[in-house]
Amino acid sequence: MDYPHIFSPGRIGRLTAKNRIKYAATETNFNTQDGFVTEREIAYLSAQAKGGAGIVTTQGAYPDVLGEGKGFRGTMSIAEDRFIPGLSRLAGAIKAEGALSALQILHCGREGGVDLGYCLMPSVVPQRLSYFKPPREITPAEIRRAVKEHAAAARRAVAAGFDIIELSGIVGYLISTFISRYTNKRQGEYGGETIRERCRLMVEILGAVKAEVGDRVPVGIRLCGAEILEDRGGNTVDESVESFAIAEEAGADYVSVTVGWHESSISVITRDVPMGHWLWVAEAVKKAVNVPVMMAFRLFLPHIPEAAIAGGAIDFWEMCRPMIADPDLPLKAADGRVSEIIPCIACNLCFSRLYYHQPIMCTVRPSLGHEGEEEWGYHGFTRPKRRKRIGIVGGGPAGLQFAAVAARKGHEVTLWEKEASLGGAALLAARIDEGDDELLRPVKYLEGECLKAGVAIEIERECTEATLAAAGLDAVAIACGAGFAQFPSVSSLNPFEIIAKGKKPGRAALIIGGDGVGLATAVYLLRQGDYNLTIVERSGRLGRDVSPFYLWRYLKLFRERGVALLTKAEATPGPGSTVYISTPKGESVIEVDDIIVAIRQTPEDIGREFSKWVPEVYVLGDAKRPRRLHNAIHDGYRLGLQL
Amino acid sequence: MIPLIDEDACTGCKKCMEVCPPLAITQEEGKARIEREFCEECGFCAAACPVHAIDMPFPKSGASPSG
Repeated sequence: MDYPHIFSPGRIGRLTAKNRIKYAATETNFNTQDGFVTEREIAYLSAQAKGGAGIVTTQGAYPDVLGEGKGFRGTMSIAEDRFIPGLSRLAGAIKAEGALSALQILHCGREGGVDLGYCLMPSVVPQRLSYFKPPREITPAEIRRAVKEHAAAARRAVAAGFDIIELSGIVGYLISTFISRYTNKRQGEYGGETIRERCRLMVEILGAVKAEVGDRVPVGIRLCGAEILEDRGGNTVDESVESFAIAEEAGADYVSVTVGWHESSISVITRDVPMGHWLWVAEAVKKAVNVPVMMAFRLFLPHIPEAAIAGGAIDFWEMCRPMIADPDLPLKAADGRVSEIIPCIACNLCFSRLYYHQPIMCTVRPSLGHEGEEEWGYHGFTRPKRRKRIGIVGGGPAGLQFAAVAARKGHEVTLWEKEASLGGAALLAARIDEGDDELLRPVKYLEGECLKAGVAIEIERECTEATLAAAGLDAVAIACGAGFAQFPSVSSLNPFEIIAKGKKPGRAALIIGGDGVGLATAVYLLRQGDYNLTIVERSGRLGRDVSPFYLWRYLKLFRERGVALLTKAEATPGPGSTVYISTPKGESVIEVDDIIVAIRQTPEDIGREFSKWVPEVYVLGDAKRPRRLHNAIHDGYRLGLQL
Repeated sequence: MIPLIDEDACTGCKKCMEVCPPLAITQEEGKARIEREFCEECGFCAAACPVHAIDMPFPKSGASPSG
């Protein structure tokens, strides 16, 4: 056993969890807009429980009929008894797989009212993020109602059969907005200068819920240990830590420590934040309370929480994203099969989809949200009618993912990669910014899956006509990635030459193309040295395909380093080292040392020559259309399902 | 779900095309058209449309209200 502390039983109130892993509450947008649990949600949480976690927490269910507490369109409700049957099935599905089931009650407060024109807060503090609704000050009568609604929700959770109740007061949700000095400016009741005064709503809700469920059901709470709102007059860390002690006094049976608000001005959960970075916050809370302490937040690899539990910083390891990526993470860690864990890369595709009212998706696990649909292969693939001999051209994420699925299904698969390393464009992406080496994890994982499934991988082997003629294939998949456009009539560089081959452009460089690849090239250069960059993008939008969780950091870097960002702009070569730039504001001429063309392209007829040799020809990933990592992996997975 | 475009409302302003991550929106006869094969159902187009001509229906249960 590699992780004896993680896989030792842990106490929560009167209950014992079989290990120290808790799948933490995660919104999915899988449920109906009117708040009912769906088959999709049940299959998803059943998979989470089957994966071996000691405790599986539901997403936060909103407790009020109006939906003032509802943060996402597909959030489930616990506001009325008619929701109990669905919730009961959810509890049953979790418990049937041997996990303790926890139901989270969540009033989203400042982030609530998704289907309404307003949200409720202790005081009106204008929103910083456009997704959220204009705030209205909650009245004393509404506060009393909210306390009762939380207690009634707890009664329903117990009636539905849940083992544990969890409350959430983090990131801008109702309880947290009362606790924080940033958002609670109330005079008198429920407000005040001291943290204890601002914790009054939390104390009353905890008290009401405890009174409702008695001693038989443990009640825990998630609170913020470090708001990172110093620039907005938020709580000090000392105050935040004290709020946990106040929760314990009010009867909390465990506490979960979180970091940052959704409007904090620094990154909290992106790749640039090293794994384990926030454990100091949990450690501070641990010193202040005597109940079990839990934490999620960039604890992606089991050796980190193992050491944290052993060292007394936390008692339970919580996870959202790593277990979205792989619900079987606990089982694999227990067996010492860490290299088989499908690795979360903190891309936050899951998270960002919620803000556009869409169900969560996962870059590295295409089966997310389809666990209950046999054809998606989450619980195993169906064998094809006929075993085919399949060739794959290119060992990037698309080719590797396709190879892994096809071989697992029983096909005979050979993959050719002309470079010395597998990974394709992911190898470039992994060299851009701090923490991006984590992008190599999915490549490593997929290579392992291929080898286990018996894929013949041939490195430094270009697939030629002779290769195809000799292979006698039934099907070929072209996954060789995209090339780059040429700038007319002058010599230029491209991102591959710069990032993979080490060519250094001169100090004054023009980057043509402002989608993810152009911006990544700029970030790469700025991290390498002092560059005077201009980025020219034809459309009106920079970074169209870049995750908003990362885009703002890149744009901040560009501002700090004086990068000229030109949209709706075209560049054409001028005499000597000059380039004409035309924008809606007019024409200009700039002098540059080098031109970098960061526009990817792929030939329209890419599959044609192959069809001479192979009956079935497929094109996937960037070779089909240059896009992002998740498209490559999903293309590969879906083609694998199809064949 | 794949976005639904109200062709009467679409003004052909191309704002949706500009925000579409996989470039899955083209224009035909001045109206936005979704390429289903590439659409990843992200909802960016619906959020960007200035005249609300793009709808992404969200599933409802059809259950009747209580009481």
